[in-house]
Amino acid sequence: MVPVIQFKDVMKVYPLKAGDVTALDHISFEVERGEFISIMGPSGSGKSTLLNLMGCLDTPTTGDIFISGIGVRDMSDVELTNLRRDRIGFIFQYFNLFPLLNIIENVSFPQMLKSQKQVDEKKAIEVLQAVQLEERLYTHTPLELSGGQQQRVAVARALINDPDILLCDEPTGNLDSKTGASIMELMTGLNRRGSTIIIVTHDPHIAEYTNRVIRIVDGRIAE
Amino acid sequence: MSTIFWEISKRNIRIHMLRSSLAMLGIIIGVVAIASMGILGNTIVQEVSSSLSSVGDSVIVTPYAGGGGGMGGGGGGHSANLYLTNQNFQQIKRSVAPNVAIPVMSTSAHMKVGVGSDDIVASIYGIPSDDTKKLLPDLEAGDYSNGNSGCLVGTTFAKDHNLKVGSRISIGQNGEYGALRVTGIIKERGMSFDISTDNALVVTQDWFESAFDTTDDELNEVVVKVTNGDTADVKTTIEKQLNRNTKDKTVSVIDSKATLASIFETFGMVTTFVTAIGGISMIVAGVSIFNIMMMSVNERIKEIGIMRSIGTQKKEVMSMFIFEAAIIGVVGSVIGGVLSFIAGYAISSLMFNTTEYLFTVASMLSVAEGVGFGIVICLLCGLYPAWQAANLNPIDALRHE
Repeated sequence: MVPVIQFKDVMKVYPLKAGDVTALDHISFEVERGEFISIMGPSGSGKSTLLNLMGCLDTPTTGDIFISGIGVRDMSDVELTNLRRDRIGFIFQYFNLFPLLNIIENVSFPQMLKSQKQVDEKKAIEVLQAVQLEERLYTHTPLELSGGQQQRVAVARALINDPDILLCDEPTGNLDSKTGASIMELMTGLNRRGSTIIIVTHDPHIAEYTNRVIRIVDGRIAE
Repeated sequence: MSTIFWEISKRNIRIHMLRSSLAMLGIIIGVVAIASMGILGNTIVQEVSSSLSSVGDSVIVTPYAGGGGGMGGGGGGHSANLYLTNQNFQQIKRSVAPNVAIPVMSTSAHMKVGVGSDDIVASIYGIPSDDTKKLLPDLEAGDYSNGNSGCLVGTTFAKDHNLKVGSRISIGQNGEYGALRVTGIIKERGMSFDISTDNALVVTQDWFESAFDTTDDELNEVVVKVTNGDTADVKTTIEKQLNRNTKDKTVSVIDSKATLASIFETFGMVTTFVTAIGGISMIVAGVSIFNIMMMSVNERIKEIGIMRSIGTQKKEVMSMFIFEAAIIGVVGSVIGGVLSFIAGYAISSLMFNTTEYLFTVASMLSVAEGVGFGIVICLLCGLYPAWQAANLNPIDALRHE
């Protein structure tokens, strides 16, 4: 089976005036379908760079990255954007919902980008039920919801286009421990139902929920 | 393009209502300035042309007065001491045939219009009775005079001094030049190049000569009614015939059509200039649109980063901001268009006491121009901020606080 993510000798160098900074140094790893992985490391280790590369927000300096077998190295901005839209679901620390849109519209947003059509409420309701958000909140705006509720909406938004991977950047970092735990239980449930999930975190408690931990130190993998 | 971005643009304008309204106000003022200045210019041109164009195609020949010669007609009369002779007239007549040449004598004189009335000074024109009808084809009342002591009066003159067909006018401070009876009232002719009759009397050449003791060698001007050929050609023919000696010219020739054209050209330039002043306010409005669009982009950098990271294309981000500028532009410009009709109505009725030129093609075009310019300015000023938003690096934008 084709790995969902494959890094082959990936290097990322940021050219700065004071000298080049190597954020990732010859990294190779694979993520198989259905895995639940946490990526850990101290700040400045290259976690964010790795996340950006996995999320197709950036391209490597050298080496190759394959998402579901598709090489991203020579992709145009339009192609990378479509890849993000169709194959990757992003979940952020600060939820990052659109305050001008209500919950249904927020969740449907990536779907509308894909179909270029109006809101398909059926699918949105389906994923909102999957993340266990109360139905009365569907027409509210994000700012009327609690942090935990907002993160559930963000997860629903990430799920709507049936992505190959869920990429989470400190998904519980802005939540109290109880709410954070409930979000992690939701993630675990999603993983059991087949979702491939990668969580970038520096919190060892979060890493306990996952099946595999990748540690990054100074731009290298230290397993 | 996806309707969700249209929806976001609308909502963003709504939550920043004050800011959006102020930007719209700028556009409204710009459109009103351009459109109402255009309407004003058009009204002036049409007002003037309605009083000028009745002259038709004519060529006016006056004694050469050095320089380029001024506008023909008018009073002044004998003091100039420079006349066209009968021989000049015959030459003109022959050279312009089959067009009609009409000799005109003019002076100004004191007169009274009834017992105990005030002393009036007005222009008197002497025209051969056969030619009067050709030069002045439209009468408002009465008829052309058959007899020698009949006269025609201009409509303004008749109104001002309460004259009717049949009224008597005695000419001279003490009536020493004799008396005239009004046989007809000449329709309003407005400003004209040949003779200005609205505030004057028109008598027969015979009466003029006998009353003021002149001869047919003392013509003030000759008017050629051009019905055949072009006025410019007629002008050239006359100049060739009468100004053979280039150092000592005999006549000045004015081509009414060419003069009219240059007058309209001048008015056109004035209109353009005034409209351009209106355009400046539009540019100021454009700057404010640019400003709020940049603010809008800066406030939403993070939002743009999120959008881009979850799969929004650059052109979709761009469209969202273009929609915003377009909404402000279209709404502002349309409101401005409606208001400029009201402003145009007010200006024309206050300045010209008429609104008949408001719904002409030219005025409509001015409004359309203003509205179109408003929309285009908004779109142009929204273009750069939108482009900037679309080209933000998604990683940097996401990190933006």
